[in-house]
Amino acid sequence: MIDPLQASVQIASSGLEAQSDRLRIVSENLANANSTGRTAGADPYRRKTVTFASEMDRAAGVRVVKIKDIGIDRSPFRVEYEPNHPAAGQDGYVKLPNVNMLIEMADMRETNRSYEANLQVVKQTRSMVAMTIDLLKGA
Amino acid sequence: MLEAVSSILKGIGNVVQTNDIAKASPAALRSAQASAGFDGVMEQVAADAIGTLKAGEAASISSIQGKVSAQRVVEAVMSAEQTLQVAVAVRDKVVQAYQEVTRMAI
Amino acid sequence: MGPVYLFDLASSQARWLSLRQATVSSNVANANTPGYRAQDIEPFSKLLDEKVVALAVTSPLHLTSTETSLRPQGTRKEDSWEIVHSGNSVSLEQEMLKAGDINRDYSLSTAIVKSFHRMLMTSAKS
Repeated sequence: MIDPLQASVQIASSGLEAQSDRLRIVSENLANANSTGRTAGADPYRRKTVTFASEMDRAAGVRVVKIKDIGIDRSPFRVEYEPNHPAAGQDGYVKLPNVNMLIEMADMRETNRSYEANLQVVKQTRSMVAMTIDLLKGA
Repeated sequence: MLEAVSSILKGIGNVVQTNDIAKASPAALRSAQASAGFDGVMEQVAADAIGTLKAGEAASISSIQGKVSAQRVVEAVMSAEQTLQVAVAVRDKVVQAYQEVTRMAI
Repeated sequence: MGPVYLFDLASSQARWLSLRQATVSSNVANANTPGYRAQDIEPFSKLLDEKVVALAVTSPLHLTSTETSLRPQGTRKEDSWEIVHSGNSVSLEQEMLKAGDINRDYSLSTAIVKSFHRMLMTSAKS
């Protein structure tokens, strides 16, 4: 294994990046929580999901975490009766995105928590390396 | 420089007490006990210092190339510092003793 | 045993702590990876026991490396605080506590080494 402290930083950094991307997707979902289609009967915004995976980074020789893919949530759309809406279908119902604000907010909080944890690991590892180098300094 | 010191001392003989060396570097003393006498100890101390200095140098070069962990480098450099300090202390004692010997009335 | 043994011991501990930090880092980064199980390495005391046994057999000045036993292994189910339906068993709180322990031990270890190194240097000065 390469220097374990260096590996820690790389792994935690990959965690930071993955959580950042996840936050971007959650923000997108939240922003489009009410984005309907443009034409009559068209589908609205579909909620996006994120899947993490552990991958071997060949160059560094460590298993880092990456977002494997950004998927689509296949759960059904919400519908609301609004016949005057431009996106209303024949029956007068408008299809609304399958985004639940509460779930997205909870997701956002969890993403933040994970991000902070990864950041803490990076800081601590750097501090451990600094302590080691410090041994050579001083009297 | 260390090689020169050890060769000079071979000729001088048993003029310095080995107590100080024992306190500072028990490992060197233990391994030198096999070769009887003071010159054995001197050689060992000098060899120790040269060895760790070279190791420290190699580790530092590796660290600049990004190949080795900070811990390894720091350990190698600290080890080099310690053995060098011992060698310098012994050298000073020996030089002092040599000067005393040369001052002796014939 | 003298200062030489201390430096070797501190070095082993520092190496162990670094490896543990790497496993904590991996656990935290994979907190949302489905099916990932939290990992930890064997305790340092266990490593020392193995070394003591080895010491008795070989020369007292030669410390053998038992790093094969340091490879991370999955934590026992009962040791983990939570297992969610995705099969992920990482608890961020537990990992942060571990990280705190690691940091404290590493701080202490380097402080001791620094101190003893300085003592050795001053005692070797004439």
